[in-house]
Amino acid sequence: MTAKVTVKDLHKAYGDNEVLKGINLEVQENEVVVMIGPSGSGKSTFLRTLNKLEDPTSGEILINGYNLVDKKTDINKVRENVGMVFQHFNLFPHLSVLENVILAPVELGKMSKEDAKALGMQLLTQVGLAEKADAKPTQLSGGQKQRVAIARALAMKPSIMLFDEPTSALDPEMVGDVLQVMRDLAEDGMTMIVVTHEMGFAKQVADRVVFFADGYIREQGTPEEVFNNPQDPRAQDFLNKVLNV
Amino acid sequence: MHSKTWMKYFMLTIALMVGIITTGTDIAHASKEPHYVITTDTTYPPFELQDKNGKYVGIDIDILKEIAKREHFTYKLVPISFNSGAQAVLSGQFDAIMAGMAITPARKEVYDFGTPYYKTGVIAAISKNSNIKSLDDLRGKTVALKTGTGAAAYALSIQKQYGFKVTYFNDSNTMYNDVALGNTVATFEDEPVMKYAIQNGVKLKILTKPANSGYYGFGVKKGHNQALIKKFNAGFASIKEDGTYDKIVAKYIGAKESNFAGSAKVNNSIWGLLKQNKSQFLAGIGQTLMLTILGIILATIFGVAIGILAIIPNKFSHGFASTIIYIFRGLPLLVLAFFIYIGIPSLTGHKLSALFSGLITLMLNEGAYIAAFVAGGLKAVDNGQMEAARSLGLSYGKAMLKVVMPQGIKLMVPSFVNQFIITLKDTSILSAIGIIELTQTGTVIISRNSQGFRVWFLVALMYLIMITLLTFLAKWADKKFGGN
Repeated sequence: MTAKVTVKDLHKAYGDNEVLKGINLEVQENEVVVMIGPSGSGKSTFLRTLNKLEDPTSGEILINGYNLVDKKTDINKVRENVGMVFQHFNLFPHLSVLENVILAPVELGKMSKEDAKALGMQLLTQVGLAEKADAKPTQLSGGQKQRVAIARALAMKPSIMLFDEPTSALDPEMVGDVLQVMRDLAEDGMTMIVVTHEMGFAKQVADRVVFFADGYIREQGTPEEVFNNPQDPRAQDFLNKVLNV
Repeated sequence: MHSKTWMKYFMLTIALMVGIITTGTDIAHASKEPHYVITTDTTYPPFELQDKNGKYVGIDIDILKEIAKREHFTYKLVPISFNSGAQAVLSGQFDAIMAGMAITPARKEVYDFGTPYYKTGVIAAISKNSNIKSLDDLRGKTVALKTGTGAAAYALSIQKQYGFKVTYFNDSNTMYNDVALGNTVATFEDEPVMKYAIQNGVKLKILTKPANSGYYGFGVKKGHNQALIKKFNAGFASIKEDGTYDKIVAKYIGAKESNFAGSAKVNNSIWGLLKQNKSQFLAGIGQTLMLTILGIILATIFGVAIGILAIIPNKFSHGFASTIIYIFRGLPLLVLAFFIYIGIPSLTGHKLSALFSGLITLMLNEGAYIAAFVAGGLKAVDNGQMEAARSLGLSYGKAMLKVVMPQGIKLMVPSFVNQFIITLKDTSILSAIGIIELTQTGTVIISRNSQGFRVWFLVALMYLIMITLLTFLAKWADKKFGGN
């Protein structure tokens, strides 16, 4: 197996406030890594450094062999290979659903408009929203929006997908559809890094669960190891609270 | 699809700009005869006035025409307010001025004059029903003067002695009306001009005997255009000798205004005024619309560019854009227009046409306002949109163009409509640099027929109609491009 993502001693500070205090992580091809932890623990910030939406203060990040900390690295090239799904969807409201999906591949000259449309329809079918191709994002429910956002990220044919709390802004009955799409992706062998509070998803789908607290990775292992037998006291406390409600 | 239409508009604008610049500079001329650009006043009857077809006539105009014919030179006549014209000759915008300009020692310092061509004196005039008996009665009262004239200089020279206050006007007719209405108690004016005005219905009477007698002269910037002065002098000697000069003067001095302006009956009905001045009004409206539309296009291009520079995350570009917005939003439009039209040619030695200067003025001033709300509108678009677009691999520029701008522009549509209406109104300020747009058209028509109220009423109505049409157009555009 090859490492798709390698992070070494990553620090990130906003002024005096250090939110990442030395993170080390490797993610292998086809691996699904789920990151859990209390709010403010740095897991979302960490995820955003992986496609340089946040600039690290120090440390090393290699994505598909590209060094993100090196200023000479063409970040747009790296991002083409790293799909990102946001908590608040961030669909483009002035474009139709299909136009949202095909914008990047067409604008970046990856394929002709016709080919992009065919791919877009295929992806919308995959997330169960082919009939909404011509709708505007405002006409969709939250769950539908998030599934379109996933299709949009997949249109660039990325080899890594990042999910930043993809179900946190959804009504409970919408969560299942989005998680199902993610589960299918994992089964197809996509390399995924997911920040979530959905412990059920973590248990079922994750190859590895990573527990963040106070800007550190406190614990990591298979779902069984982390959920059934956590070693770190912060992890024990957190899991006790979220699993035994 | 969208980018193609944008491209079309852009190319069209460039083509228009090139057209304006090349027609505006007016230096090259096809014929072998020397060609000059000569300025005159917009309103100074009987020396210069427009006839009912909108053509300039008058003593100055006819003398110039005759001399040019005899001395074999061609010229382009540019009527512009006297004070601006006089300055523009010194800045090199014009080769000469023929505008009833009195030869004074101060002016001789900076101008070279041809043979004095008309003897004149300054008189004081008061309202017909005024009870002022002599200059002594002016003490403590306010007197109306026309900016930059010899008569004004004379008035100032006796101001201490008689103890009056002064206020200034740029155009004779407005000044006469001010005195006739009693806002100011008196005015000082060159005798022939005042006599002509009174003869043609201005409700003033002459208070004093001509004083400070002097001559009018044809002026060029000191040390420049000496060949033109020579031609003028030779031509003037020739028309003086064969009696042509006397015929020209006789034609205008003592002439009834109706010879030039049409009958009083026509002037007294609004419909008659409209019909009689149709071609002039249409030309004025055309010029105003042209300035507005081209001004808006240029200001939008400039404003959007500066607005984007203001928000891209780069300290230098942000500072640059903020400075541009600060300067051009801070300068009054009139000051900016004079600075570009008169100031820049003094610095560079290159003439700029009034139209070109006016368009640049609109571009910078209105563009600065547009830049401010473009930056605001783009900032108002949720940052998540930029992040999502960048995450897909789009460059900053593409993300801005395809994702952020289309959303920001929708937020800006109401501000754009507002700015378009302001631009239309602001074009009237450009009359000051001699562009004969609608406001200036009104001024010159009134200078001929003295129908201030009726003409301004018509002009106001025309502006309202244009603004209404523009608002409808903007609402249509809002529906088409702004709605969802």
